[in-house]
Amino acid sequence: MTSRSYLGEFELMLLLTVIHLGEEAYGVPISRELELARGRSVSVGSVYAALERLEAKGLVESTLGDPTPERGGKAKRYFQITKEGLRQVHETRRVLTSLWRTIPGTKLEMRMER
Amino acid sequence: MNRRQPSPLASWALGHLTSGDQDEAIAGDLLEHFRAGRSGAWYWRQVVASCLLSWSQSLTARGPALVFVLGWSVLAPAWKAALDRIADPLSFERAWQTFGLLWLPIGLIGWTALHAAFLWIGLLVYQFAHTFAGHPLPRRDLSRAFWIATLAYPPIAGLTYLLAGIYVYSMPGLAHATLASNALGQIADLGILPDLIRVPYLVAFLIALWPIAYRQRRGQREAQPYAPSTGSEATVLSGTIALTSRQRPANAGRFIGYMAGVGLINALIAGIIVCRLPNETSPSLASVLIHAAGYVAVGVAGGIMGTYIYWLSPWTATRQQPPIPFPLLAIVCASGWVWIPSMILFGDSLSAGAAIVATIATYALVSGLRRASYFISVPAAAGPAHAAPGEARMFEESLYRPPADLAGYAIALSLYAAGASLAVHSNYGAAGLLAVGAALFAWRRTLPREHFLERGRQYASAAVRVAIVIIPAILITAWALLDGVSYRNRTAAAGSNSSPLSTSKIGIHKPRVVTVAYNVGYESVILWPPPQKKQIVAPVSAPFALFGSDNKRPLIIRFDGPYTYVQPPEKSPGPNAHQAHGTPLDANIHSANALPVVMQAHQNLLTSVPVAQCREIDVQIENYDNLAGRISLALLLTSDSPHGPTIYAGQQPIASTEPEHFDVKAEPVRETLHFAVTESRLGEKFTGITVMLLPDVEHKFIAPRIALEQFEILPR
Repeated sequence: MTSRSYLGEFELMLLLTVIHLGEEAYGVPISRELELARGRSVSVGSVYAALERLEAKGLVESTLGDPTPERGGKAKRYFQITKEGLRQVHETRRVLTSLWRTIPGTKLEMRMER
Repeated sequence: MNRRQPSPLASWALGHLTSGDQDEAIAGDLLEHFRAGRSGAWYWRQVVASCLLSWSQSLTARGPALVFVLGWSVLAPAWKAALDRIADPLSFERAWQTFGLLWLPIGLIGWTALHAAFLWIGLLVYQFAHTFAGHPLPRRDLSRAFWIATLAYPPIAGLTYLLAGIYVYSMPGLAHATLASNALGQIADLGILPDLIRVPYLVAFLIALWPIAYRQRRGQREAQPYAPSTGSEATVLSGTIALTSRQRPANAGRFIGYMAGVGLINALIAGIIVCRLPNETSPSLASVLIHAAGYVAVGVAGGIMGTYIYWLSPWTATRQQPPIPFPLLAIVCASGWVWIPSMILFGDSLSAGAAIVATIATYALVSGLRRASYFISVPAAAGPAHAAPGEARMFEESLYRPPADLAGYAIALSLYAAGASLAVHSNYGAAGLLAVGAALFAWRRTLPREHFLERGRQYASAAVRVAIVIIPAILITAWALLDGVSYRNRTAAAGSNSSPLSTSKIGIHKPRVVTVAYNVGYESVILWPPPQKKQIVAPVSAPFALFGSDNKRPLIIRFDGPYTYVQPPEKSPGPNAHQAHGTPLDANIHSANALPVVMQAHQNLLTSVPVAQCREIDVQIENYDNLAGRISLALLLTSDSPHGPTIYAGQQPIASTEPEHFDVKAEPVRETLHFAVTESRLGEKFTGITVMLLPDVEHKFIAPRIALEQFEILPR
């Protein structure tokens, strides 16, 4: 994929969580990590919806694991970031960082005081 | 150890109310979260969010396909009109005479092909658009869509036609709706009739494109098989039931249920077409038994052939690795299909036997299927439903609480409802309800023995079951035939002995046997006004001169036309309609079968009246109906010419019958209903006024005792 489409906020968070969790990246730890990071509840359905979107874009790939009795015989779906996903994360980081650098610290402080 | 379980209703909702594209891993994740300490409210919130998200995702992914299908189906009325022009009824009749019964499958295939061609062209256009956009559909998907569209259209069209036929008089304007004369008008018309034509095309096209559109849009690959695992799969052994990775329990159960359902519908169709009462008034026992055996064979053959056609179709997902082989499925289902002919014959003679046979048939079918598929439909990973007695906790037995068994409540409810249906002589309703109860009961109570794992044993058991039920099925079919003949003889005797109105009751009965000799009862009734001593002078021979530019006096027309009583889907009395003289105020006309009675009245005007000259039409009625309910009176202005317009002037409720104004009437009550004539139809003329009485539930089977007195046409 060569098109330069930037990631949304939630998508970026998801990709970073998937990278962070590594081989243990499936629905439960992903949503748990996101809740910890954001400080509020997250819908498991929306996590999957976003991951599916990312998979369709080729930024992550998934595989089904073994079904376990703890999960009522349902399989886990493990997610893994692709090269393209990693590239887009770096690209988004670069753009965001350069944008942050253009804003002087005083301006941000003034806005926060309002 | 007892694990926490989320609400069964929430789990059911997650499994059944999502769009079907939902990943099963979500259910596992939610359960894992829940067992890690999340609350029930949290679980419910997640389930609701998952359902909403899955549908929103699903519809968004299919958005372009939905728009295309909607746009394409708008063209359907024009296609239908073109087909109607090509299809000459005379040529059909000639073909029927030439080929006889053989014409039925040929005609059905030809009819399906002609209608499905519209969908095929649509698919090609859709493919062309995708190719143009650089994302052509895979050929396999496209050919699957062709098949799905072709097979899905006939049942959906049949169902739409059936429903439209039943409710033809309840939907305003449908009874007299016609298609516009040119293609553009047909496409642009969003009336009830064009929309009803569009519905089956729209639904069939959507069914065909639904999975493809999702894959195409989301870039999904074919569903990946499970990764190999040791604990979740049944052992694959030669000659035993093997639960392979693709045959997940839900899919296997759905597949078997679907195949059995298809077979049942085909057995019913075959039975309805073929099963007839013998022509003799007192047939010999041998003749009845031969007929019965033949009909049972037809029921079984119809079911097997129907199932096999769908089994072979390329869109049957699991046909490459079916959970059970076709011969076994056919033998198991045959124990249910043998009962279909007797059920149909009992139904024809309005006997409650139809409900009893439906119960037996459903029990035989479902318990057979349950035995054959038990070790497939129950997940291997699932533990036993109840703990072994030795493992019960202390005092657990004494503190036993009855389980909240939804199926038990459903069975009880279906039994009560079936009893109520039988009490009001709705045999088919009772049959359906008892069948549901029997199916649930059989599914819950049938437990096969361990040795049923062996395929050979399963074949032997299924064959024994068929052998056990076939003789009773033939005998009961013979009984149904004798009962039908007896019923026919009784009604024929009653019909010939009684004068139609002398008993103040007219029973409408439409037997399926349409031979003249046995056409007992009345298929429809025409009630003319009582003959008068003086010759009736045509009411409106000249007075339309009154509608001159300077005349504003109303024109009064005494009603002297016929009242007609028909049963849907018929719109007008047939050639065998019973004709009598009388007024609806004195006649008690009711349906003798499960179809409603629809009453109409028509007044000819002898000359055409320009709509432009009418401002309002008032209908004066006499109401002697002592059954409270809501009846509406619809007014239609009709034209003599075959292509003339029918103007729907609206419908008004008859207040003197409404429960809030209802009083028992010792004598007829007069009431006037006012219908404004809209200015949108000013250029048109009418030569007759048709009044339709649209019944509510109370009056569906009993014609209202309401007579028309006069029309008052107010000039503009």
